[in-house]
Amino acid sequence: MAKHSRRQVLVLGAAGAAGLAMPWVSRAHAQERRITVAAYSGIFEDIYKKTVIEPFMKANPSIRVNYVGFPTSAQNLGTLRAQKAAPQLDVCILDMVVAKAGANENLYKAVTPDVLPVMKQLVPTALIEGMPGPAVTFDNVAMIYSPKKFASAPTSWKELWNKAHAGRITLDAPPNAVGMGFTFVANKLAGGTDYRDYSKGIKLLGEMAPLVQSWEPKPDCYASVTSGNADLSVGYNARIQTFSRQTPDRIAASIPDEGSVFQINTINLVNNAPQQDAALEFMAYALSAQTQATFTEALPYAPTNRDAPLSPEALARTAVTPERMSKMINIDWLEVAKFRDAITEQWRRNVLTRS
Amino acid sequence: MYLKVDSLEKRYGAFDPSVSNLSFSLAQGELLGLLGPSGCGKTTTLRMISGMVAATSGRILVGGHDVTGLPTYRRNMGVMFQSYALFPHMTVAENVAFGLEMRKHSKHEIAKRVESALAMVRLNGVGDRKPRQLSGGQQQRVALARALVFEPDILLLDEPLSNLDAKLRDDMRNEIREIQQRLRMTTIFVTHDQTEAMAICDRIVVMNKGRLEQIGTPHEIYETPATPMVADFVGRINRLKGTWRSDGAIDINGSMTIRASRPGARGAPVLVMVRPHRIGLVASGSAIPSAEHENVLAGTIRQVTYIGDTLQYSVEAAGARILVEKATTSAGDPFQSGAEVLLHWSEQDTLTFAADGER
Amino acid sequence: MNTVSVNENPFGRKLVLACLLPILLVNIVAFMVPVLNLAAMSFRAASSTGSLEEGITVSTWLGLFGDGYYWSMVGRTVWFGILITIITLLLSYPLALFVSRREGSLKAFLVVVCISPLLISAVVRTYGWMVILGDQGVLPSLIRASGFTPPRLINNETGVIIGMVEILMPYMILSLLSGFGKLDATLEQAAGTLGARPFTVFRRVVLPLSLPGILLGCLLCFVLAVSSFITPKMLAGGRVSLLATEIYDQAIVTLNWPLAACLSVLILVVFGAALVLYGRLSKIVE
Ligand SMILES: Nc1ncnc2c1ncn2[C@@H]1O[C@H](COP(=O)(O)OP(=O)(O)OP(=O)(O)O)[C@@H](O)[C@H]1O
Ligand SMILES: [Mg+2]
Repeated sequence: MAKHSRRQVLVLGAAGAAGLAMPWVSRAHAQERRITVAAYSGIFEDIYKKTVIEPFMKANPSIRVNYVGFPTSAQNLGTLRAQKAAPQLDVCILDMVVAKAGANENLYKAVTPDVLPVMKQLVPTALIEGMPGPAVTFDNVAMIYSPKKFASAPTSWKELWNKAHAGRITLDAPPNAVGMGFTFVANKLAGGTDYRDYSKGIKLLGEMAPLVQSWEPKPDCYASVTSGNADLSVGYNARIQTFSRQTPDRIAASIPDEGSVFQINTINLVNNAPQQDAALEFMAYALSAQTQATFTEALPYAPTNRDAPLSPEALARTAVTPERMSKMINIDWLEVAKFRDAITEQWRRNVLTRS
Repeated sequence: MYLKVDSLEKRYGAFDPSVSNLSFSLAQGELLGLLGPSGCGKTTTLRMISGMVAATSGRILVGGHDVTGLPTYRRNMGVMFQSYALFPHMTVAENVAFGLEMRKHSKHEIAKRVESALAMVRLNGVGDRKPRQLSGGQQQRVALARALVFEPDILLLDEPLSNLDAKLRDDMRNEIREIQQRLRMTTIFVTHDQTEAMAICDRIVVMNKGRLEQIGTPHEIYETPATPMVADFVGRINRLKGTWRSDGAIDINGSMTIRASRPGARGAPVLVMVRPHRIGLVASGSAIPSAEHENVLAGTIRQVTYIGDTLQYSVEAAGARILVEKATTSAGDPFQSGAEVLLHWSEQDTLTFAADGER
Repeated sequence: MNTVSVNENPFGRKLVLACLLPILLVNIVAFMVPVLNLAAMSFRAASSTGSLEEGITVSTWLGLFGDGYYWSMVGRTVWFGILITIITLLLSYPLALFVSRREGSLKAFLVVVCISPLLISAVVRTYGWMVILGDQGVLPSLIRASGFTPPRLINNETGVIIGMVEILMPYMILSLLSGFGKLDATLEQAAGTLGARPFTVFRRVVLPLSLPGILLGCLLCFVLAVSSFITPKMLAGGRVSLLATEIYDQAIVTLNWPLAACLSVLILVVFGAALVLYGRLSKIVE
């Protein structure tokens, strides 16, 4: 009896599976394709869903997009790594350094302009040698400040060394990526000319250390200023701008005159993705000029599509204005990835110990 | 009087008092038995005297000083607990040594006294064991040794022999009495067992429901019990209900007449008590010796029970069952069930109590 | 006694085995497999970008042993574990003793009160501490209001210790209460009648009898203190790096899984040592 019923279940199950696989069994099902996009959680998720995912689904009714948000790129990669045998994700948007690690493990499938023609519209810096997918957003490290404590926006990174702010500064130390990028900013401030020799930067950071309240603000550097626990911090421009729009009297962004470093998110097609074609359609949409512009208007990440029709105000909120571009510190993040551990080590020995 | 308990009362929460209006005193070196049924407040009394629980009211005096508010550790009383309360993490020897250590005796002295205390309770050679490796009776003796060893001024023993076999119980009883007398320790000895109390106590307090029922020497308690409860508690006894007649005799159900040494008010209900072994038994028709002050009753033996040193006869007389006890002899039973007999006992052995409990 | 009866009765022994089998299987699947996986992962190779590479290597292990940084981290972790455990014990013991002496519904109520913090997640409770200890927090404000300069209570070792102690106290109290089984008011009274003053009673009777509970609580709290990373991460402000937080960083931020695995194995070794010590000590106590 029991055996019999089990066999019946198996037969039913097989029929069900066949139904999913064979388009002629159910027309409605056959037309709908589902893809899963993995990117950041939080404010990014909110706005990306509204400005990219939902319009895409409206334009492509046959494709349903499931968005999975991760707090960090590393968790994004870690999840895919665990699913290597049978990936559940189709498209991953994450920091290029982390994406490179995934690329080395063959987790992503390289895309070319042949399969993704929109790549031809991207700025040259978006097509990075050795990366499986193109850049989808540019962001940059910026200064977070509390508008209540500053009559006018601080225009120099040196403000972080001002003893008046002792105990009111937070900064995410490496291995956090912001801390990593800020190392190169400090290096430039200290007169360093090559980011690969960052010893001057470390020395300067050591001088700042006694003023720092926390090297690992919780829940994050933005909230530490919004909540009034700190007056100065360092974070990513796009997020600061967005939080600033929500509570202008509590948090504001400044891209100081000395320049900054870029943070680049790339969009990657997962190797053996369940829905390759739909995934490529989505990637094309995400990189298109109009989508990029819409997203940037809502969340000030700089677009990677050179034809994106941006308003001057939106452009001004990013770091890709011509005068800012000229001051940006040119960094090959793939090169940085090779000495990442050494930077963390230097921080531990020479910066954190001084606070 | 060395130890004086004055109007002691203890209430646990809202319950009826566990002990109330309790007063008695002991001379130095006296051994007082505390006798009473289970739950009558014996342990509670000891706990108040030793300071383990605070009295709700009343005073405790030692050598004329009020110690009611004094903490236990300053009272210098050796207490043996009903539950033994041996320290499970210490060896037997360490348990016994504890009181001596607290009194800062030298190591050598402690070892010597622990050894002799263990010898006294017949426990030589178990000093290195933990209490849980001993039998119940052995544990009880360790507890006794621990309470005695530091020779306290006052010794409070809560059923110290309850868990021992009859032979060991007699030995230990005599041992306690001997030590107590030698060191002149003022001692309270709690027990349910009236024989034990009678055997070694100078005086006995009988308690019932938290109150003092009677205090007196063993002889007084046994021969002139103050209440039926005491009479009942200190030995087997026959009970008969009757009424005083005008001639000083007692009428039982109109079918039996009993004389007592002290008559009561006419017409009052009376409780008559006679101890079974004070009743004589002869075959029907035999002559009764010194018949003048004797109560005589005719009856029929209904049951004979042999319990070794005594024979118990259940005799039906005048509509009541009367228990009679006789020492056994090698000659065997003189009476069989169904035999017609005469019961007789003297007026002095007839205890009478007003039926509401007073004599 | 029990084992004898089981051995005497072959049916009983089979029954016991049959009953043990499911939990044994669960243990193998849920505990042994991940641990073995972890051990295997520690021999994988990782590139500088964090990507896993094919093949096995002992280089992660060699690097770990050669680096004094990790040794001092192990030392600091153990030291913090011990310090937190001791403070937790000192604060919990009187409470547990007080609760164990109550009776009836009052006792049940107090036990619930003591362990009720467990109903709230450690994260939320740690945020609570951030509010209390932060620079603008309740406690520093109070200290400032009374005319003193408050010391830094958060984003350093002090913060971690305060937070961890509070997080672990319910566990310690529970262990202590369960270990107080042998405590009996009569024993304390007995010691009193033998002439022991209250402190002597505590030292000679109460303390020795509560040692099993103390040992159990200490083992539990030490293991929890060494393995917790959320509270240290939130309260340390990046100034205290412990094994568990480092594992988190390596696994989640740097993605160096082999190193994270090595460190996890190291933590398991620390736990093993703690267990062995616990076993030894409980034998001595009993
Ligand atoms: N802690 C307590 N709380 C409430 N009632 C108690 C407590 N201790 C004793 N009692 C009550 O007090 C009364 C006297 O108890 P106690 O232990 O003194 O009796 P006892 O004469 O020693 O009895 P036993 O011969 O059975 O040992 C009992 O009714 C008991 O229920
Ligand atoms: Mg009792």
